[in-house]
Amino acid sequence: MMARRTALSFIVLTLLLVGAGPLRAAPTPLVVEAALDREVVAPLLDAFRAAHPEIALDFRDRTTLEVDALVAEADPAPDVVISSAMPWQMARVNQGYARRLDSPAARRWPAWAKWRDEVFGFTFEPIVMAYRLDLSRHMAPPQTHADLHTLLTTERDALAGKVTTYSPLESGVGYTLHQQDARYTPRFWDLVAGMGRVDARLEGSTRAMLEGLSDGRYWLGYNLLGSYAMVWAQTHPEVIVQVPQDYSLVMMRMAFIHRDAPHPVAAEAFVDFLLGREGQRVLAGQTPLFSVRPDIVGPFTAARLRDQVGERLFPIPLNASLLAFVDPQRRAAFLERWRREFRRAEEE
Amino acid sequence: MIEVTGSLKRRLAVWLLVTVTGLGALLMIEARVSSHRAAERAYDSQLEAAALTIAEAVQWQQGEPLIEVPAAALQILATRHQERVFYAVLDADGAPVSTNLPFTLEPGWRERAADAPLALTARLDGEAWRLYGREVDSAGWVSQEPVQVWVGHTRAGRMALADELFERTLTRFVAMVLLAGVLMALALRVALGPMRRLRRVLRRRDADDMRPLDARVPEEMRELAQTLDHLFARQRQSREALLRFTADASHQLKTPLAGLQSVSELALTSEDPAEWRAALAAVHEGAGRTSRLAGQLLSLARLRHLGEAEAVAPLDLAAVLRETVLDWAEREAARDHDLGLAPLPAGPVWVRAEGWAIRELLGNLIDNALRYTPPGSVITLGLEVLEGREGRGEVALFVEDDGPGVPAKARERLLQPFERGGRQDTEGSGLGLSIVDSIARRLDGRLSLGARESHGLRVRLSLPLCDPEEAP
Repeated sequence: MMARRTALSFIVLTLLLVGAGPLRAAPTPLVVEAALDREVVAPLLDAFRAAHPEIALDFRDRTTLEVDALVAEADPAPDVVISSAMPWQMARVNQGYARRLDSPAARRWPAWAKWRDEVFGFTFEPIVMAYRLDLSRHMAPPQTHADLHTLLTTERDALAGKVTTYSPLESGVGYTLHQQDARYTPRFWDLVAGMGRVDARLEGSTRAMLEGLSDGRYWLGYNLLGSYAMVWAQTHPEVIVQVPQDYSLVMMRMAFIHRDAPHPVAAEAFVDFLLGREGQRVLAGQTPLFSVRPDIVGPFTAARLRDQVGERLFPIPLNASLLAFVDPQRRAAFLERWRREFRRAEEE
Repeated sequence: MIEVTGSLKRRLAVWLLVTVTGLGALLMIEARVSSHRAAERAYDSQLEAAALTIAEAVQWQQGEPLIEVPAAALQILATRHQERVFYAVLDADGAPVSTNLPFTLEPGWRERAADAPLALTARLDGEAWRLYGREVDSAGWVSQEPVQVWVGHTRAGRMALADELFERTLTRFVAMVLLAGVLMALALRVALGPMRRLRRVLRRRDADDMRPLDARVPEEMRELAQTLDHLFARQRQSREALLRFTADASHQLKTPLAGLQSVSELALTSEDPAEWRAALAAVHEGAGRTSRLAGQLLSLARLRHLGEAEAVAPLDLAAVLRETVLDWAEREAARDHDLGLAPLPAGPVWVRAEGWAIRELLGNLIDNALRYTPPGSVITLGLEVLEGREGRGEVALFVEDDGPGVPAKARERLLQPFERGGRQDTEGSGLGLSIVDSIARRLDGRLSLGARESHGLRVRLSLPLCDPEEAP
């Protein structure tokens, strides 16, 4: 009698194990469309895969404009959308493409770095200047925006064709940074005019600018993403990263779960991981993306950056004013003025 | 019998609860509506501010309206509740010059906004939006066409504010009700204080203490206190009457008993059988008188201690009168008098009375008349039916004689027990009219004594007639 019952339990247990096998073998897919370099973010993705083996993460690295288009057009929709083009992300959220995330990590997230509990700024990336060592042999490297403006005026011949910055036309990030600069001071337009005078080259990404610096094509780059530049400088000693000493913009990557996410549970797990202690610790320790959370310790945290740079960090505010940046008429007017100021030298 | 029908406190609490619930429901509905209205007003003014900020930024270039949407306007629209925001600048044909969401605005709305600024709630893109539109006159060098500025946001902030306002009202109301309840309970305690004081006063009183109350009471309890005082006064009176009656009765009984004792003592000392016989006759007569006196005393005491008359069946007064007079006319005592009946009404006369009471009353009146009038006097009994006020008829029963009568001053006193109208010569006990008076009160009648013409006495008893329909 006893033996028979034991045998029965064994059979049931075996059946259960066999039945559970295929379930484990078919992980939930999760599609993340991101404007975020895979190399930079790899440690975070690895940590997520280790923490959630049941989710098959498909991380697709694209440009900001591609990512933005996919939000509306992709079928099926992506699960999670990450982009550094803050105004476009905000516009998509305002159009109702985001799904609210209600989790402890989301609730604890600082209010200045989230909107409607739908979109979260999960990195804290300073915008920097970078120069080649060659530059310091000819002139004192710029430390502030005013320094840069002076150099563009006084060293016009030496710098001709040697300066690079983001193209506001081709890059959403570049446009956002220039807009934000222009919001802070009208002297920004003098800077643009100065760039026009030295015939600055306009690039579509930070990587292109850094490559140009390493190649020796450029001596000076303005408005680069600090996160990429710092990683680059570690392996390219000829490139020096300078956080502007007067004020430094800070950009945040914004992540949201798509309203029509085919795998909402996995998507929530991913964003929760991004915002959680685990994910932010990886961001702070193994990537130069900088953790936003004040309770995380590591070389790359917003708190530590503040200690180094002081109170001159100006995060691009994550609020409805971003929506104005993507207004077509306003954008057209800005670009028009940008072109005009850039060509001011020719007209003079 | 005291029956406890609920508690005052509980009754008050129930009333308070009912009132508070009813009024509270109305108040809450009103609060709900007005908090929503207040929230709409507060946020509509933000919409207006945003619309004005955008309108300010409208400029004309080559005959085309140009708008650089101010970031501040969008922040005003978003509010601290981080609403989804909408803006649109429409040209004179309703075509969007600049917009951030592809909402279609109904032509009707645009027409109304052309007249006056318009705020409305609409469901767009699966969510409720509050929209605000106004027309802006603008003068360019080429075109002077007006443009319309429309702004809108979702309603989370309004809901939150309305809920907050409502919650605050609700909290205040609940606090007020609780406070009122506590104050009510205290007030009730204080208000019932005089009641407790009165109770203590009554409890402390001795059983035979019939003095008026000495207590401070509020206006509402004055009547109760006065009623109690009246009750005490009546009890005091009846106690005094009882004591007087007992004293009188003892005194009355003592006299004939003393007479009996002296007669029998005298007879015992004599040896003459003739004297014994005379003494025995005297004793017999005295015992008879005493026994009659005792009978009357008993009858009076019984009448006074009988409770309220129960509902009694109607009685034909004329028949009882006729029967009683016939009975008395045949008696030995009426041999020397002319006892007769005045003409009676034709039909029966219905009154509510017990037959024994009427017979006792008539007997006493006739007995009195026979005793206090000289032989040969005429004694007449009769009935008069009177139409009273408000259809309530009355019947007057009267007994009159042509004897010496009673002076007007003494008539009232005749009704007191042992009162004989100043005539101590007769054998009467002085209880007869007293009994009659008691019966009259019991039957709810009025007894009056008067003179018949120049002399004689007329005793008259008015009784209410009862409804002929109730007669058997």
